Amino acid sequence: MPFVSRPRRRAAAALMGAAGVAVALGLAACGVGDPRTYPNTTFAPHTEFGRDIDDLWNLLLYLGTAVFIFVETLLVITIVRFRHRPGAPRPKHVHGNTTLEILWTVIPAVVLTIIAVPTVRTIFRTQARAEPNALQVEVYGHQWWWEFRYPQYGVTTASELYMPTGRKVNFALRTADVLHSFWVPELGGKRDLISNHVNYLWWTPADSVAETAWNGTCNEYCGASHANMRFRAFVVSPAEFERWARHQAAPAFFNASAAAAPAAPAAPPARTSFGPAPAAGPALVRAVANVRGAQPGKGTAPAPGESPGGSPGGPEAMQVAAAVADTGAVFPRDRLPSYVIPAVPTPAQLKFTPGLVGDPARGQKIFSGGLCIGCHTIKGNPMAAGVIGPNLTHVGSRYTIAGSLYKNDTDHLRLWIKNARLMKPGVTMPTLGMGQVDPQTGATVTAATGGLTDQQIADIVAYLQALK
Amino acid sequence: MDSFAMPDVIVPAAGVEHTYTTTGLPHRKIGIWAFIGSECMLFASLISTYLIYKGRSVVGPFPHEAWTDPSTGHHFRAILNIPVTSASTFVLLMSSLAMVLALAAVENRDKPKVTMGEKILGSSKLWLFMTALLGTTFLGFQAFEFTSFVHEGVSIRTNLFGSSFFTLTGFHGAHVTAGVLWLCTMLAVDFKRGLGPKDALNVDIMALYWHFVDVVWIAIFTLVYLIR
Amino acid sequence: MATLAAPAFAAPIERSDGGFLSWLGTTDHKRIGYLYLFTATGFLLWGGGEAMLMRWQLRAPNQHFLSAEQYNQLFTMHGTTMIFLVVMPLSAAFFNLLVPLQIGARDVAFPRLNAFSYWVYLLGGLFISVPIIFNAGPNGGWFGYAPLTTTTYSPGLNIDFWVAGLQILGISSLAAGFNFITTIINMRAPGMNLMRMPMFTWMAFVVQFLIVLAFPVITIALVFLLFDRFFGTNFYEIAAGADPLLWQHLFWIFGHPEVYILVLPAFGLVSEVLPTFSQKPLFGYPVMVYSGILIGFLGFGVWAHHMFAVGMGPIADTVFGVTTMLIAIPTGVKIFNWIFTMWGGSVRFTTASMFAIGLVAMFTIGGISGVMHSSPPADLQQTDTYFVVAHFHYVLFGGSLMGLFAGIYYYYPKLTGHLLDEGLGKWHFWLNLIGSNLAFFPMHFSGLLGMPRRIYTYDANQGWDTFNLLSSIGAFIVGFATLILVYNMLVNRKRGRLAGNNPWGAGTLEWSIPSPPPVYNFAEIPRVTSRYPVWDLTAPELTAAVPHTLRGDEMVTAQVGGVSAGQMSVPADRRPAAAAGAGLHAPPARVPSAEELGIPIPYTTTKPFFTALGIIVMFGGLLLTRMENKIPGWAVLALGAATLVGGLYWWLTSPLEPEHEHAGAHGAAPHHAHAH
Repeated sequence: MPFVSRPRRRAAAALMGAAGVAVALGLAACGVGDPRTYPNTTFAPHTEFGRDIDDLWNLLLYLGTAVFIFVETLLVITIVRFRHRPGAPRPKHVHGNTTLEILWTVIPAVVLTIIAVPTVRTIFRTQARAEPNALQVEVYGHQWWWEFRYPQYGVTTASELYMPTGRKVNFALRTADVLHSFWVPELGGKRDLISNHVNYLWWTPADSVAETAWNGTCNEYCGASHANMRFRAFVVSPAEFERWARHQAAPAFFNASAAAAPAAPAAPPARTSFGPAPAAGPALVRAVANVRGAQPGKGTAPAPGESPGGSPGGPEAMQVAAAVADTGAVFPRDRLPSYVIPAVPTPAQLKFTPGLVGDPARGQKIFSGGLCIGCHTIKGNPMAAGVIGPNLTHVGSRYTIAGSLYKNDTDHLRLWIKNARLMKPGVTMPTLGMGQVDPQTGATVTAATGGLTDQQIADIVAYLQALK
Repeated sequence: MDSFAMPDVIVPAAGVEHTYTTTGLPHRKIGIWAFIGSECMLFASLISTYLIYKGRSVVGPFPHEAWTDPSTGHHFRAILNIPVTSASTFVLLMSSLAMVLALAAVENRDKPKVTMGEKILGSSKLWLFMTALLGTTFLGFQAFEFTSFVHEGVSIRTNLFGSSFFTLTGFHGAHVTAGVLWLCTMLAVDFKRGLGPKDALNVDIMALYWHFVDVVWIAIFTLVYLIR
Repeated sequence: MATLAAPAFAAPIERSDGGFLSWLGTTDHKRIGYLYLFTATGFLLWGGGEAMLMRWQLRAPNQHFLSAEQYNQLFTMHGTTMIFLVVMPLSAAFFNLLVPLQIGARDVAFPRLNAFSYWVYLLGGLFISVPIIFNAGPNGGWFGYAPLTTTTYSPGLNIDFWVAGLQILGISSLAAGFNFITTIINMRAPGMNLMRMPMFTWMAFVVQFLIVLAFPVITIALVFLLFDRFFGTNFYEIAAGADPLLWQHLFWIFGHPEVYILVLPAFGLVSEVLPTFSQKPLFGYPVMVYSGILIGFLGFGVWAHHMFAVGMGPIADTVFGVTTMLIAIPTGVKIFNWIFTMWGGSVRFTTASMFAIGLVAMFTIGGISGVMHSSPPADLQQTDTYFVVAHFHYVLFGGSLMGLFAGIYYYYPKLTGHLLDEGLGKWHFWLNLIGSNLAFFPMHFSGLLGMPRRIYTYDANQGWDTFNLLSSIGAFIVGFATLILVYNMLVNRKRGRLAGNNPWGAGTLEWSIPSPPPVYNFAEIPRVTSRYPVWDLTAPELTAAVPHTLRGDEMVTAQVGGVSAGQMSVPADRRPAAAAGAGLHAPPARVPSAEELGIPIPYTTTKPFFTALGIIVMFGGLLLTRMENKIPGWAVLALGAATLVGGLYWWLTSPLEPEHEHAGAHGAAPHHAHAH
């Protein structure tokens, strides 16, 4: 009788398997809340939104584990106890048991009610309107990078999201093209970006997490480089945030002299010209209103005497220069956790001439006279006003490029400009390096198609890196 | 041998024939009902889409309101022409009546017909023809409606209204067209050898389909044309 | 040894394959089931291969084995293949094989429509699967969310193949749906009332309703997309004000019932396997029926739980969260009823029963994680992560596929007359169980630790490396296990041990006839007085406690006593001499042919094949119209339409079977033809 042999061993094996699964589960459960090992864990929330979800999740996890253990144990007991024994009489025919069947209808119903009540309360609490004084962040999803706008500060940036501790952050989520989904697992649940809709999500980073950084992802499949649509979320103290925002809002002003003496800014007065940080908002808004006149921000009418769209070379040049001089605040480099530093290797076949030194002034000229300005805006460079690609104002103050896919350093920037399409599949950013083959079209880049030499690329990179 | 012994005997149901059916109804009658149930979901999806997209078009023309194109200044009337469509709806309703009479005529073919009235009512050819004719008339109205809408500036590509309207009514029109072809085939058979009670099932199934298409139109007429 | 069927026949009955044309033209539900089984198994290898490629890419961070485009095509086609070309057709294989046998019928209601369904499935499956070889495979995900699938963002042919392919496959499913609804309503043998139907047939019945009600919705969603792509309509055009949520709602109104379309047949199979190997009737049969119906019904009211992250607002979230929790109740009831079917029984560990028990164990995990994301706020941390990938693989692999594997081991002897090798089967089971848990359990962790779905690569230092490596190892074990199954099926198709009528000692009607069944199935339509008519004969002392009533039937006496050993289910005058007086355990040396019994059998016909071919050619032509020169496209489209209309015309005007002269263009009035 081949199929009834060694039932005891089989049953024992099944039991051991189940036990093994339970042990593995327990072991893993010990470590999953540790962000050092698991930097994107959902088990260690740092906002009230995340904690609300986590409370619910713990309930689900405990009840689910209890049900799992109960059902699987019952199953194993049943198949061991009632296994076929040779010579045993045929079992009696039992067709059902009303009491039992009512019982296992009612008990799950009760369990589900225990889940449903807090669920509904959490739904309504977490989806209430954010309070009006919250920090407003407009999130725009693009194939395949994130744009963040701070309408209260006049800041537009890409791939790196800054938030202060202790202040509610209200995200308004929109997409520029296809659907995306915005998620920072350690901070809270995700929300989709839907065309022709605006979605909202809010949370308050806990005071305990100042100077902490996390990774964010796109979670709605959005085409070729969906996997490469990442971002970084930095939480800083309120004061640092104000400094960051004020600096980011100012034009990134670059000229030859600044390039020649980057380390000698005429700085100290700049601080005081804006007053203490918390009160800086309105003044700041006025100062930058000219540059953001075209943006749909609320309550940002230009102050009298300022001409909308005026260039930073105009009357407020002094102010601008001062703003640039204040290097503001960025997330401290020495506090960067390893998991936010991209480790993505560059394509092996993509090489750059070694030993080149870029000249930022030349780079600015090439940038302003070439294809770049068709897609990129640099506040402070009147030529650069494109809106297709990421806003590059202060790009030098960011840690990552290309949707947080690569480190923002000389090597990666150079390779990126040389052949972005080789480094990130499907991107709009064209292949620009002379002699490079565009992997999307198969065409070779020549001077006629706007190709750049390695030296020219090095110059552009030097310029971009000067935009601190 | 133990209890796994193989029985080779199951009680036969004496006298049950090869064509036995559980319900006593022929298979195709059940099948057409399943098909109609499925079609309900098809049209429900189409009608829902039309209603969801109602009022969401970015540009006109619109079904119930006039619209002036801001870029050209061109003025568009409200598109839907309810009097004309009421007439076509009436035509389609009458075709269902004709269909009922056609089925009755096929079923009662063998009954003697004496009076002129009985002869007219008992002519399956006449009523099949009338059904097909009224169906074709409805399609004519629809062709007129479609061309005049396109003429007035709404095509299937113009806006959400155009896309959802033409797809919905077009699907319905395709169903009517299929029904008319079915009726014509049946009419040809009637002329060739005459339809009798043994054909009643075929006519009955066709009639079910026809009435369903008619009922769907009532829903479309109410939800698309009458409700603003 | 005795338990495994002393061979009932010296050799299986006259199942000469009859050559290629006989398969092309077959209308026999068993042969069509056979075709479905092997075609779906082929696609199982195909879709599994796609999974292997993906898991090789994801075994470690920052790999470049596959390009982004290749990976995106692979995950799209893995989902599409497994859902539409593997699990649904494997279920269809069992609908075909079993439904007529279980209800005591000679075929399905519309045998030629049945053949048509198969050919549409095969050709449509090739249509949607082959492009990936040429790097032109669909790449929008099996869910194809707009506006990514519009020509603005996906200008290539990739999405066209997907839209057209799914439309084609929908035709196949709908045709089969009408067919089986009619079959189950109208072809049950006398006494086979609804509450006596085997549970598999019940679940098949529920599934057919889900198919005919859910598929029209996806049909319309796809029509909109097709029109947008080919005729410039605006259904998903963002600039025209379109709402991408229209697609999501339509898709999931189909998509969630689809989940139950995938899993209920497996539930049905398990509900056949467990009673047999426990030697006990199904526990709580009526509750099992009602819970199946309730699951199907509620399945239409939970679709938006796939959309908790889209921002529907608190009220919609609440409603869909609660209905989703509700659906867990009837599902849980099924689990407990299965366990209590075994409780008090005599559980034999065959490969079939082990897979069935495996389903109960694995589906429980999928059910629990399902409840975890029925809570909308919690789902916001889970949706579109690997946690969801883990969940639905426990449901669809641990649930659907394990149930279908149980069905394959259990019913293969009925289909072919030969048993599958139990030793290989157990290797398959254990490797499958270990491999699938190794592949899918760690995905819970990678998901909750932040790993998004549908990514072709991930960075190092994210805490996902170990879990992904485990998943990849598990996936390859599952792949190897599946090769064992296929080897087992191919080798033992004609050479396996002879099965006899009832190798497992089962109780339902299909086990009362030879394996493989004769073309007419039942020499005489049986009369059914209980849920386990075979057990009434083999263990009357156990079944006698159940009143054998025939509610709604004229016959109310227990029939068991009226049968004497050796009585054939063939009238005495037509009984072959060799069988006369044969005892219960010595069936006839050969089974009489349909001609000898005077049973009309449908003609072999290739008309359904050509009709199906016409549909494929039409869609092929439509895709060709995307070329610069439109003429070839329209020409091919016209050719396809002509084939379709011509095939349909000849089909509808030709008789189904001998002795049934058709009265008109649309078939026969029913009348019985007497024997030759």
